[in-house]
Amino acid sequence: MKHNKLHDTLLVAPGYLIYTVFMIIPLGMCFFYSFTNWDGISKNYKMIGLKNFRRLFADADFYNALKVTLIITVITVLIYNVLGVLLAVLLNRKSRACAFTKSAVFVPTVLSSVVVAFIWSYIMQTDGGVINTVLGVFGIAPYDFYATPLRTIVMISVIIAWNGLGLFLVIYVATLNTIPTELMEAAEVDGASGVQRFFKITLPLMMPGITINSILSMAGGLKQYDHVKVITGGGPGGATQTITLLSVEKAFEYNRRGYSSAIILVLFVMIVIVSAVQLSITKRREVKY
Amino acid sequence: MKKILSLILCALLICGTACAAFAEETKIVFCVNIQPQLPLEFWQSIADRYMAAKPDVKVEIIGNPSSNVTLPQYEKTLLATDQFPDIMVMQNPADFVPSGALLAFDEGDLDYLADPNVGKIDGKQYVANYKKQIIGVFYNKDMFAANGIEVPQTWQALVDASETLLAAGIQPFSLGLKDGWPQGQLANMFAGTDLLAKDLHWGAKRNADEVKFNNPDLQKAMEKYQTICTKYCGSNITGITYTQMLEQFFTGKAAMLPIGSWVNAEVAKAEQDFEVGWFTLPGDEDANVVSVFVNEGLSIGADTKYPEVCKDFIHFFFTDKELYGEFLKSEQLFSTTKETVEYDMIPLRKDMEEQIANMTEVEGFESMTGDDAFLPGLKDYFTNKMTQNIAIGADVASELDAFDEEWEIAKEAIDDAA
Repeated sequence: MKHNKLHDTLLVAPGYLIYTVFMIIPLGMCFFYSFTNWDGISKNYKMIGLKNFRRLFADADFYNALKVTLIITVITVLIYNVLGVLLAVLLNRKSRACAFTKSAVFVPTVLSSVVVAFIWSYIMQTDGGVINTVLGVFGIAPYDFYATPLRTIVMISVIIAWNGLGLFLVIYVATLNTIPTELMEAAEVDGASGVQRFFKITLPLMMPGITINSILSMAGGLKQYDHVKVITGGGPGGATQTITLLSVEKAFEYNRRGYSSAIILVLFVMIVIVSAVQLSITKRREVKY
Repeated sequence: MKKILSLILCALLICGTACAAFAEETKIVFCVNIQPQLPLEFWQSIADRYMAAKPDVKVEIIGNPSSNVTLPQYEKTLLATDQFPDIMVMQNPADFVPSGALLAFDEGDLDYLADPNVGKIDGKQYVANYKKQIIGVFYNKDMFAANGIEVPQTWQALVDASETLLAAGIQPFSLGLKDGWPQGQLANMFAGTDLLAKDLHWGAKRNADEVKFNNPDLQKAMEKYQTICTKYCGSNITGITYTQMLEQFFTGKAAMLPIGSWVNAEVAKAEQDFEVGWFTLPGDEDANVVSVFVNEGLSIGADTKYPEVCKDFIHFFFTDKELYGEFLKSEQLFSTTKETVEYDMIPLRKDMEEQIANMTEVEGFESMTGDDAFLPGLKDYFTNKMTQNIAIGADVASELDAFDEEWEIAKEAIDDAA
């Protein structure tokens, strides 16, 4: 079939247009505003060079937000990928129980993150929450999920993972189905144990899925906003604030849109670097057959 | 014949379109503050009543789409996206005035208000203040009586009362940090009693950099606030929401609720099985200072096409006594108009008015108005950061130093933009 350049261009043009309008231009604007003192509401602003970045790298709130973001990212990446792979291997069978479990794990994925966060904040309410009410029935003292910032962050991370695990599980199950059964059968005939088959055959051949999922989960963790916003609002005193939450706070509460753009730009660079490193590591481990 | 008919139809069509264009209706957008006591329907009823009186004007109501987005945040978003409303409920004009977003009222525009000068910024009035609210301590009269506690008249008496309640197994105060703002009311009261009562315009001095947040009076106030938060509010202050605070107090799980007079709306429901009382937060020597909020009202967008219509709408809101009375009744508010507006008040609301009659009124610390107002962003820093950190035990002096540093950043931003 003969290619027509104009035809091809017209076909991809809408996609490029949407990408440019909603991705490239906002990113360019973010880059530009990060060098200004724009308050987000005035018509005027000044170029202030690297002042926003200098302030950012001396801002204790930024480092705390970075710490919180990294904790959430590490926990969710571990759950999504370690638990995701294990569940995929365990559930990759043709039985009603496995099909039901896969559906049950996937259901939270279709729920809005805000809805999930609201549901869980009611479940974990210290006074009158579902968990503490049940504990009370058995005479157990209420558990304060908000007692320390770390406890709250861990709790939020688990909720995020509960909300998103289904999607990662689907990708892992799909990857597992691409592994030829002959390889497994040959290994079994050669006397390889289940654990050996998992580490020597299944895991290496799942690398393409692991690459995708680890990048998606890492980027998702670094961008985390909605669950934290609903459950703690970043409090108390900003102790559970993520980078995106800090950025929105600086833009819309403190009238510092230029500073907020600098925060987002740093986050963007972080995601690009982490994804690139991750991609190069996992790509190298992918095996071809 | 067909041609002639076609020509006539075309001519009629052109005339009709032209007339419609000339008779463009006057449409104003009104951004409101949607709350449980003032739902969208209430604000719509105001618009409907105005449109019935002025059929040539259309009023469209908009409001913050979610309780997760505060009204000022929503209004800033509207401003940044060129959708700033013609009229709006304004809570912190100091955040908007530097950007030139608000229209200043002319002398005489607000003559119907008791004090049209309250909250002026650089000598100009940007807000028609529509309510006065006071903050104090609601208390369970039955619990106080059962434990032999009198209404505290000094700080020490308040501590003693709290200890007595604790000893009786009762949580003295109901307070929570989870929603971010309720704890600020208690901090406001202490700052008002220990700092602002000595100098009503301390805020203007701070803005002129003549004084610092880290000063002995504010430090003392915040230490008292920390004492209440860490000792007398139960063990899970970080996980408690505003709704849970109300629930704790109105179901008798806590004896005192330090909050604004808007809680009278809850008292009016009369669902509690005890008598509710109210007192102002006592100082070291006496209880003679009350913190008031006069920061909220109606403002006009600087770019409105219809400034006179907007002023007329605001005039209508205040001078239609039935309408304004309904507004005041919703939260048992104090009116701000020259003429008295009667509404169905609960006894506690009347009692409050009598109690504060001879007290020194200071503005709510976080919501000081006019030239006393915090620089942009500092109100949020005070509520979302400093008061929360202090409530969970952070060092008060360090927190006040950090507040001063935040002031420097906010000031620098203003100077940069100038």
